[in-house]
Amino acid sequence: MDQTAMIHLQDVHKSFGSNHVLRGFSMAITKGEIVCIIGPSGSGKSTVLRCINGLESYEGGSIHVNGTLVDNKAKSIVAIRQNVSMVFQRFNLFPHRSVLDNVTEGPVFVKGEDAASAQKRGRELLARVGLSDKENAFPRELSGGQQQRVAIARALAMEPRAILFDEPTSALDPELVGEVLSVMRDLAREGMTMIIVTHEIAFAREVADRVIFMDQGVIVEQGPARETLAHPSHPRTQDFLRRVTHPIETD
Amino acid sequence: MQKFLADAAEFILILFQGVVLTIGLTIGSLVISTLLGLVWALMRVSGVWALSGTAKLFVNFIRGIPIIVQLFYIYFVLPDLGITLTAMQAAIIGLGIAYSAYHSENFRAGIEAIDHGQIEAAQSIGMGWWMVMRRVILPQAIRIVLPPYGNIMIMMLKDSSQASTITVAELAMQGKLIASSTFKNTSVFTLVALMYLCMSLPLMALVTYLEKRFSSGQR
Repeated sequence: MDQTAMIHLQDVHKSFGSNHVLRGFSMAITKGEIVCIIGPSGSGKSTVLRCINGLESYEGGSIHVNGTLVDNKAKSIVAIRQNVSMVFQRFNLFPHRSVLDNVTEGPVFVKGEDAASAQKRGRELLARVGLSDKENAFPRELSGGQQQRVAIARALAMEPRAILFDEPTSALDPELVGEVLSVMRDLAREGMTMIIVTHEIAFAREVADRVIFMDQGVIVEQGPARETLAHPSHPRTQDFLRRVTHPIETD
Repeated sequence: MQKFLADAAEFILILFQGVVLTIGLTIGSLVISTLLGLVWALMRVSGVWALSGTAKLFVNFIRGIPIIVQLFYIYFVLPDLGITLTAMQAAIIGLGIAYSAYHSENFRAGIEAIDHGQIEAAQSIGMGWWMVMRRVILPQAIRIVLPPYGNIMIMMLKDSSQASTITVAELAMQGKLIASSTFKNTSVFTLVALMYLCMSLPLMALVTYLEKRFSSGQR
């Protein structure tokens, strides 16, 4: 096993019934690395993320986070989830709690931090995602972009070593995508380890250290973001990128 | 009418003794059935095969037997096994167990109606099963569960009259006793019916209020 890797997947297999979603998936993420996973829908991108923090179990291979084996039946999964936060496509904010309470929920009730210091830090995080004025609002009163920024603040509140982003902008209206990407860009500059499943190719090119192209449960091609996206070598990558960047054209 | 009012004045105090027992029965069995129902529902959604299977079996078992037979069993059969309860205790426990089945189905539906993404979000910040339930799922499920819960409450109030079959002198029983000794059937049973209405109409108003408040999808 690669000792320098923070997150390490080795030959991971995962099926949903007869649907073999991951067919021997391996990757290693080092601290501070920003990796974008791209690929057609159904290729297993989201499943990779969900296996890393144990939202899904996997049948074969191994996943390690900071040297600990990911096993969602074991007690150790709680510590792993606190170290590896997740941001969801559909935000999944707690609708019955205010914005600030959404952010402090984990620190107070999972980590046992005292409420006052958690709130102070929560306010700092909300300021960081540009939502200081919304701390008393409820999620339903916010736009999708604002909700996703709160979700990012909630993930950061756990002081994770890495954040997994599962298509964070796919459920947003086009004009709201920018505000979420800009928060993510700031995180990237600050050195946060990030694995991002996305269709935002321009963002991947700008922010990612490495791009992984997935299809049918395996890595088809990977490499430094700029080069790989500019000159993909595999025909399936070329075809996918052409369709994503020129969605109107038909062949 | 004059005659009815005179009868009412005469019997109302005795009937009130029945009302007190009826209310005690309803509240007692409401507490037991709610707690038990929550236990069954949590077992059902636990994801542990043995727990959910047991709960499902038990709930169907309870639902398949008439309440009156359950009451007979607790009051007349348990003493043979060395467990002797007063009529009131037996009635509260019997109604509580019988109604826990209905509560459990209602609670389960409420819990299962919550978006799965909520569970995942809670898990992703490190919450365990209990905390996910307590902090995230149940507070949201309450909104869905409350209106049907109110209806079950009204059914319980009325079904508490079945306790009369095991000698609890609640409202229906008191009425029957007075009627059979005075032969003033019309006055007595009209009075009994009115008293049940006086108890259930406010509950119905509460249910209507809850439905308005919660079913609109707003908070």
